[in-house]
Amino acid sequence: MGRRKKIVQECERLMDEPENIRNIAIAAHVDHGKTTLTDNLLAGAGMISDDTAGEQLAMDTKEDEQERGITIDAANVSMTHEYEGKNHLINLIDTPGHVDFGGDVTRAMRAVDGALVVVDAVEGAMPQTETVLRQALREGVKPTLFINKVDRLISELQEGPQEMQERLLSVIADVNELIEGMTQDMDDVDDWTVSVEGGTVGFGSALYKWGVSMPSMQRTGMDFGDIIDLEQAGKRQELHERTPLSNVVLDMVCEHFPNPLDAQPRRIPRVWRGDDESELAEGMRLVDDEGEVVLMVTDIGIDPHAGEIAAGRVFSGTIEKGQELYVSGTAGRNRVQSVGIYMGGEREEVESVPAGNIAAVTGLRDAIAGSTVSSVEMTPFESIEHISEPVITKSVEAQTMDDLPKLIETLRQVSKEDPTIQIEINEDTGEHLISGQGELHLEVITQRIEKNQGIPVNTGEPIVVYREAVQRESDTVEGISPNRHNRFYISAEPLDQEIVEAIQLGEASMDMPEQERREALQDAGMGKDDSQDVEHIHGTNILLDQTKGIQHLNETMELFIEGLEDALDNGPLAQEPVQGTLIRLHDAKLHEDTIHRGPAQVIPATREAVHKSLIDGHIMLLEPMQDVRIDVPNDHMGAASGEIQGRRGRVDDMYQEGDLMVVEGIAPVEEMIGFSSDIRSATEGRASWNTENAGFEVMADSLQTETIMEIRERKGRKLELPPSIDYI
Amino acid sequence: MLTFIGLGLYDERSITVEGREALRDADRAFAERYTSHLVGASMADLEAHHGTPIEVRGREGVERDPEPILAAADGGEVAFLTAGDTMISTTHVDLRLRAHDRGIDTRVIHGVTAQTAASALTGLQNYRFGRATTLPFPYAHGADGLPESVTAPIADNRERGLHTVVYLDIKVGEEARRSPNVTGGDGDGAEELAEYMTADVAASLLAAAYPEVVGVAVARAGSPDPLVVAAPLAELADREFGDPLHLLVIPGKCHPIEADALVSLAGADRGDLDTV
Repeated sequence: MGRRKKIVQECERLMDEPENIRNIAIAAHVDHGKTTLTDNLLAGAGMISDDTAGEQLAMDTKEDEQERGITIDAANVSMTHEYEGKNHLINLIDTPGHVDFGGDVTRAMRAVDGALVVVDAVEGAMPQTETVLRQALREGVKPTLFINKVDRLISELQEGPQEMQERLLSVIADVNELIEGMTQDMDDVDDWTVSVEGGTVGFGSALYKWGVSMPSMQRTGMDFGDIIDLEQAGKRQELHERTPLSNVVLDMVCEHFPNPLDAQPRRIPRVWRGDDESELAEGMRLVDDEGEVVLMVTDIGIDPHAGEIAAGRVFSGTIEKGQELYVSGTAGRNRVQSVGIYMGGEREEVESVPAGNIAAVTGLRDAIAGSTVSSVEMTPFESIEHISEPVITKSVEAQTMDDLPKLIETLRQVSKEDPTIQIEINEDTGEHLISGQGELHLEVITQRIEKNQGIPVNTGEPIVVYREAVQRESDTVEGISPNRHNRFYISAEPLDQEIVEAIQLGEASMDMPEQERREALQDAGMGKDDSQDVEHIHGTNILLDQTKGIQHLNETMELFIEGLEDALDNGPLAQEPVQGTLIRLHDAKLHEDTIHRGPAQVIPATREAVHKSLIDGHIMLLEPMQDVRIDVPNDHMGAASGEIQGRRGRVDDMYQEGDLMVVEGIAPVEEMIGFSSDIRSATEGRASWNTENAGFEVMADSLQTETIMEIRERKGRKLELPPSIDYI
Repeated sequence: MLTFIGLGLYDERSITVEGREALRDADRAFAERYTSHLVGASMADLEAHHGTPIEVRGREGVERDPEPILAAADGGEVAFLTAGDTMISTTHVDLRLRAHDRGIDTRVIHGVTAQTAASALTGLQNYRFGRATTLPFPYAHGADGLPESVTAPIADNRERGLHTVVYLDIKVGEEARRSPNVTGGDGDGAEELAEYMTADVAASLLAAAYPEVVGVAVARAGSPDPLVVAAPLAELADREFGDPLHLLVIPGKCHPIEADALVSLAGADRGDLDTV
C-alpha cells in the first residue's frame, strides 16, 4: 500500500472523531509566504517529499499560479498529525493574498474554525493582514499568528537578540491591536489576542523549514541564541532537523484551534439565521453525524473528468453518494454522484463524509460558491459577505464563431466558481462583459479561458465601472403610466453611510426576519418609523413604502419593484448602477381593474418617477478609488509619489519605516490601469506596492460631463442629457 | 372631428348602421385591438367590407404616441375603432380628453358590448349586476394566486346577492411575448401573436377559491353560434367551449325567472343555484 493511500485511510478513520478534527485556513498579505508554509506542513505530514518543500508549491496547482508565483484560488488539503499521543485530522485551506482575489478568502473562512495568520517579520503587519484578519473574525474564526522569514532578520539585517526580540514583539503588538479592535463588540468570544507565553505565536522560516514557539523551546531546549548561532553559521538543515517548522505549527493548530464540537455551537448562530430551537439547529450545534445533511458550499472547482466539484463544510449529518439534496435558491433536488476529500491538488473519493469535515462533492449541478445544500428545505446560511464590488470590466469575444457556445459555457462556469466575478452574456453581439476586482483579476480569468479551455479570445481594453448617487433630498415627484390611470409619488435622498455599510456587511437584508432587520437599521441610525416601512433593498438602495391604506397597492408592489430595480440598475446619467439612495413612496393612484395596471403600465410609470426623483436629487457620477501604498528607497520617493499625484491621486502620508520610505495615498481606479509597469520603470524596479479598493467617490465637476458622454457613447446612447439635468 | 366607433361583438357586420356610415365618411380610420378583438373578421375583412383602409395601432401607438391620431383629427374626419364599445374599455376616455384639450370635436357612436351580452344571453337581469372585474393571466399580475381586485368584487357582490361579470384577459402583439404559452412571432410577426383566456382556464383559476360556486361560461357572444353553459366552477374547468372570445358570469342570488333562464338556456342544475 502506497504512502498516499495510507494517509487517505487514516483520514477516513479520523473523520468520525470530531474532537480530533481541526478545520483551518492560512491567510496573509501577498508574498508573506503562506503557500511555502503550507508545503512545509504537507511535507511534515508525509504528503510531499521533505526535500522539495519550499520549492514545490504543491498548493499552487494551476499552471498560471506556479508561473506567477502567487496563489490565486483557495485550494484544499487534508493531512494527519500526532499531538499528545493522539492522531489529529487537519483540513487545511490555503487562501490567496492578492487583494483582487479577496472573495476566495472570505468564502474559505466560512468553512474553517481557525485561521493561521502569517506575517513577514521584515515587513510587519500590512494592509491585507488587516483585511484577512477582519474576514476571519467576522466569521467567528479564531486566529493564531506565525511570524515568517525570521532568517532574514538574522542573515540579512544582522540583528542581535535584543533588536530581534523588539521587532517581533512590535509585530505581535500590531496584530493584537487589530484583533482587539475587531473583537471588542463581539460578545461571543473571550480574549482572542495572541501571545508568545500562551503558545499562540510561532516564529520561523518557511523557506528553510524551521520554526519555534514557547512550547517547542521548552520541549527541544533550543532558545533564540541557539537559533541565531545556527542560522548565522548557515546550518539551516540542522536547524530544520532539530526544530522542524511543521511540528511547531501543527502542534499549535491542535492545541489552540477549536475542534468542530467546540466551534459549531458558537459559530452557527453567527452564520445562520434559522430557528435556533429547531432540530436542525440542534444537529448543527452538536455536529450530529446522524442528523439532517447540511453542507455549506464555499468553492466550486472543475475537474476535467468529474466535472464540477462543490467543496464545503459539512455542519451536520453525513454526506454520501446517491443522496438527493436541496440547493438553496433553486427548485428541485440534485443527486450526489460522489463524495471525497482533498489531498493537495487531487481529490480522493471516500464512502461518506460526516459532520465537522470539509467535503468535495460532485453532482450538485445547481450549487454555486455560497450555496446551502441540505437534505431538508431550510433557511440558507447568511450570504457570504465580501465587501469589494467589481470595479473594472473587460469585454471578451471568441476569435472564431465555432467557439461561441463553449465560451458562453466557460463564462457561466467562471461566475459560478467565483461570485465576485460578474458576467454579462450578450448572445446577440457575441461580446461578453466580465467584471471583477482589479486588472489582475480579469487578466487571470481571461488567461484561464485561453489556456485551460483552449479558446482563443479577443479582449477589449479594461473599462472602469461607475456608480450614480443623489447628492441632496429631492422634492416629491410624479410618475404617470402610459394610460395615465396609474400614478406614483416618490422622493429620493442620500442614504447615511452607516446604513449603506450595514447593507454591504449583510447586517441588514431582506432575507432576515423583519424584526431583526428593523433593529439592525435602527442601530445604523435609521429612524424607527422609517425602519418599519422598508419594503425592499436593492444593491445599497432602500425603498420605503410610506403610503397609507391604498387599495390594490399590495398586488402592484411586485411590478413597482421590478420598475424600481430597472431604474436603479440603469441610472439616468450614464446607465450605471445607482447606489446609496433612499427612495420613499409617498402615494399612489391606481386603476380599479388589474388589466389596466399591468406591467406595461406600472413599470414605465415607476421608472419615470424614480429617474425624475434622482435628477431632482442632483444625481452625480461616482468613480471607484484605490488606496495605494508604496514602499520605496529614499532616493526614489519623489518618483513614487509622482506616480500617485500624476494619476489624479492624492498623497496622504509619507513616513520612514526601517530603511524604506512608505508613501500612502488614494487614486481613481481608472488612472491606476497600467500602474504596475509605470511604477516599476519610475523606480527602477525598487518599489513594492499594494493597492486596495476604497469604494466610490463623486468625480470632480469638471470631469462629470465629459465622462458621462464617453460612457453614453460607448453604450450607444444619445449624447444628450435630459434638460432637467442642469446642475452639472 | 374624432369619432369613437364601437364595432360590436363579432364580425364586420356587428357595427351599427350609424357607425358604418361614419366610418365610410371618415378621411382616415384608426383601430386598436389590444382591449378586445373581433374574432369573426380580420382587419382585411373590415377594410374590404367598408372599402376604407384602417391603420392598426398598438398600445404604444394609442397611449404613448397618440399624436398621429390627434393630428389627423385636427382639421380632418377621423374614426377611431375598437371592438365592443369604445368607452367601456376605459383607456379611451383618456384619448377623448386629450382631443378635447386641443379643441378637437369628438363624438361617440356606441357598439354592442360584452356587458350587454352577458346579461342578454344568460337571462340574468341587468339591474342585479355588481362591480365587474377582469381576470388576468397569472404571469401578468404581481399577486400570489388570485389578485384581490378579482376576489374582492366577487366577494362583495355575492354578499349583496349580485351577479359579477368576469372579463377574461387578452394579450396581443408585444404584450403576448411575456406569455409562457406563446412562442414565435419574431420581428414583424409580433402583430400576429395573441393569447385569449378561455372560460375553462378562468373557471379553474376561480375554482381554487370557489369550487362549489356556479359560474356561467359565455362563448362567442354576438356570433351565429354562441354557447352558454352554467355549472359549478370545478365542472366548468373540465369542459371545452370552442373558439374565443369567452367571458364568465358568477351569478349571485337568482330571481325565480333568472333561475328558470339558467336552467333552460344554460343547462344549469336547479339544485346548484342560490335563489332568493
